[in-house]
Amino acid sequence: MSKLAEEKAPKTKKSDETGSEIIHGAAEKLEGQFKEHSVAEFFKKNKQMLGMYGKVRTLTMIIHEYVTNSIDACEAVGILPTIDVKIDELGEEYYEVTVTDNGPGISKENVGKAFGKLLAGTKFHRMIQSRGQQGIGASGCTMLSQMTTGKPVKVITGKAQGKAISLEMTIDPRHNEPKITDLKELDKEFHGTAVQAKFKGILYRDSDQGPLEYLKRTAIANPHTQISFRDPMGQKFTFKRTHNEMPELPEEIKPHPKGVTVDDIISMSKVTKGRSVSGFLSNDFDRMGAKGIEEVKKRVKFDMSKDPKQLAWDEAEEIIKAFKDIAFIAPTTDALRPITEEQIKNSLQSIVKPDFLTVMTRKPTVYKGGFPFQVEIAIAYGGGAGRKIAEETHMEIMRFANRVPLLFDQGTCALTKAVQTIDWKRYDIKDIENTPVTVFVNFISVHIPYTGAGKQAIADEDEVLEEIRLALMQTGRKAGVYISHKKREAENQLKRLMFYKYIPEIARALNVITKADENKLKVNLEKMVMQKLKLEEAKDQEELKKAQDTLASDGNSVIVDKSDKKNLKRGSKGDNVSEKKKE
Amino acid sequence: MAETKKKKETKTTQKVSPKEISGRITKTAENMVDQINKLQDPEFTTMQRGKSNVVWDEQKGYLELGEKEITRTFLNIAHARKFMQTALIMTKTQDYLNHNKTASIREIYYELKHTIEDTKENTFEGQDESDPIIVDLEHSVDTIREKLNLHANPKGTLYGNITLLDRMHHNDKFNASKLGRGGWSIMSRVEPEEIELTDTDAEYCLVVETEAIFERLIEEGFPKDNNCILIGTGGQAARGTRRLIHRVHNELDLPVYVFTDGDPYGWYIYSVIKQGSMALAAHSEFMSVPDAKYIGMTIEDIKDYKLEAVTEQMKEGDIKRAKEMMAYPWFQSKEWQSELKLALEQKLRIEQQALANKKLDFVATHYLPEKIKNKRFLP
Repeated sequence: MSKLAEEKAPKTKKSDETGSEIIHGAAEKLEGQFKEHSVAEFFKKNKQMLGMYGKVRTLTMIIHEYVTNSIDACEAVGILPTIDVKIDELGEEYYEVTVTDNGPGISKENVGKAFGKLLAGTKFHRMIQSRGQQGIGASGCTMLSQMTTGKPVKVITGKAQGKAISLEMTIDPRHNEPKITDLKELDKEFHGTAVQAKFKGILYRDSDQGPLEYLKRTAIANPHTQISFRDPMGQKFTFKRTHNEMPELPEEIKPHPKGVTVDDIISMSKVTKGRSVSGFLSNDFDRMGAKGIEEVKKRVKFDMSKDPKQLAWDEAEEIIKAFKDIAFIAPTTDALRPITEEQIKNSLQSIVKPDFLTVMTRKPTVYKGGFPFQVEIAIAYGGGAGRKIAEETHMEIMRFANRVPLLFDQGTCALTKAVQTIDWKRYDIKDIENTPVTVFVNFISVHIPYTGAGKQAIADEDEVLEEIRLALMQTGRKAGVYISHKKREAENQLKRLMFYKYIPEIARALNVITKADENKLKVNLEKMVMQKLKLEEAKDQEELKKAQDTLASDGNSVIVDKSDKKNLKRGSKGDNVSEKKKE
Repeated sequence: MAETKKKKETKTTQKVSPKEISGRITKTAENMVDQINKLQDPEFTTMQRGKSNVVWDEQKGYLELGEKEITRTFLNIAHARKFMQTALIMTKTQDYLNHNKTASIREIYYELKHTIEDTKENTFEGQDESDPIIVDLEHSVDTIREKLNLHANPKGTLYGNITLLDRMHHNDKFNASKLGRGGWSIMSRVEPEEIELTDTDAEYCLVVETEAIFERLIEEGFPKDNNCILIGTGGQAARGTRRLIHRVHNELDLPVYVFTDGDPYGWYIYSVIKQGSMALAAHSEFMSVPDAKYIGMTIEDIKDYKLEAVTEQMKEGDIKRAKEMMAYPWFQSKEWQSELKLALEQKLRIEQQALANKKLDFVATHYLPEKIKNKRFLP
């Protein structure tokens, strides 16, 4: 985790003082007083702003912070992540969370930063596909634990060389400094980091928005990760690794001129290596060639050879205005790292276990002219797909942003809207809401356009919506072929049962009245039913064959249910009928 | 005792024995067996019922079932369950016929209801599933329910100077004015071979809708004073009651006068007694009394008897019903059109018991005698 922690650490003196971007706005009002409030104190007063509201949501967010840190730490050093999560109920709305990973471990010097110091994010967003900080970070969890229970967080961590250490950690909220106690060297070897923290005022639920669902989805979107989980009732779950290679790490790209704000320019100008504004622009922006500089020059009133560190707000505004006017080449898109069709297919098969699955990774494209993004879609049907409520199974939408599951604010999210605006009937999927189907949507970008501070819903940018819709239509067409066939097949099965169940009653009644051979009547009635259904089935088989041919020529779809097809063949043999009845 | 009326032979439904009906059921079943053993979809044919196959015969004065038949087959997903149910009803009714048992339609439902093997499904989920199948069978073997040894819950009461003979019960002979104030409970099976109407000196038969008026008239000695027999229907007349009114009229030649509440519900009670119902159109011939006359209550009574203070407002359902009735071919007489029109204009209804507003015995001492004497009837 060390590398990650260092990256998150504030780099400039200024941002160290002003703290996170959330505080930035508040700071102006607080002015002089502000210095006496540390980041930690601010957190203490405003935790709901950081997504820590709702008892169930808070627990899920805690799990998210630890698990994301673990995966990032493992990926940074090329270790396939293996993560173990345990939640124990200690009392009413009182839980202990233990997360253990097999990562690189953290040195004694850095463990404080990782778990005991609330860190300020860098002022302008980095243009890199990352899981991002959707919440409060591991240190936020330490703070929350301390606030609700008064207890320290326990950490055990060990690196490849040297002995593992164990310690307890709290945060001094006034100075935002970690306080480490009970530091011990352990005799055993341990490679990774384990954190154990207690929280009150939270609640475990096995719901759509609970930790189990979060971990399941995390495993689906991170096929190179293995996650095991023990819930408070002692039930154990394991989501196995289905891909044994490390994903390529995403690259950081320079911001595209169409994707920055005035504030971004000011911040960037303070740290640029460029000696003039022209140099700053051509150095620090994507697609900014000599011609681009010329164009900007024509549109601004100030002298572009001035020191960028002296750039005034008005001047930055002029630059942004110029950027808007100028046609730049679209940003580079090769910095994005999709999960890939093959890996999504494998992980969904392993974890969701549907009867049918079709996957699509679209080519990267750009929204708002400045942000590259890419969409991955999967539609899974039957088997374990869909959301079970009581006896019925409904459609389930699994949303992800850069592989991170989005469990909340589903209604306001562009990914949901895209699914809802598809006319599924066109693909023979009637009443998709009540169909056992899982729609997987992974949105990948160097900059995710979240709708709000909660970072659980994606804004409906036109290009984003359109791209997801296109992918849904393409996969939907394939799924429709299968689903409509499957439904007819099920209807046929039902029909047969429907006729069959009445046969003994009818045969018995006619035997009582006419003394005709009851068994002969039964056999003949069954024969007639099979004959009738065979006619209907033959038509259906033909269609299935056509459908299978279509799907076979497409490597991204899988039909899993071989057992069902056996039944189908068997059912079409009239002679097996009486045998089957005996069973 | 005054001279007794000469008894006429009533048109009996059919001179068919239980054995013959049983044979028809066997024939139907044998056809099915033949078809099945030839691997043909077995069929069951019956008459189509409901409005689309009901014909108003103006000549005869009652509703008749049309000619449309329906065929139910097993290999039709929409028919399969009913086909099974039909087979069960056939077996059970034949069993009753062969063993000389009669059962209520609720009893046969309970006798046949069971869970189908290896399913959670019952052969019949409610009596509303078995009742229509029984009617199907009645039509299919061309008989009436009573001949299948089935009957509905009895409803309706007879009172007055008429002597009956119950052939099914020790040949009991009794006079319906000597059974106390309650009179005789009309059975659901009153076929001539079971209940014989031996003699009466009554001059007419008064049919009343409500039990309260039935009791009021007996308390006031109305049947004796006016030399009539009284039949209470207790709402819509049951099959047995309709059959008895039909027989009283045809065998004993008594005019039938009907007295109901003055609202669409009451008027339709009269209509069913007079010209039959859509549901039992096939049996009108043996149940209807096309010569029946309507006494009241009428909307005109309100003015004539100064009952303005005791009327009620028609409800939305009443208005809808009245409009429907106005359109029926058998309500097209001038008198009924104007009565319905008046009711719809004023949106009023008037109950029989509203006459108590004058005096408790007003109905017996003034209203009915005056109406009958002056022949103030609706057709």
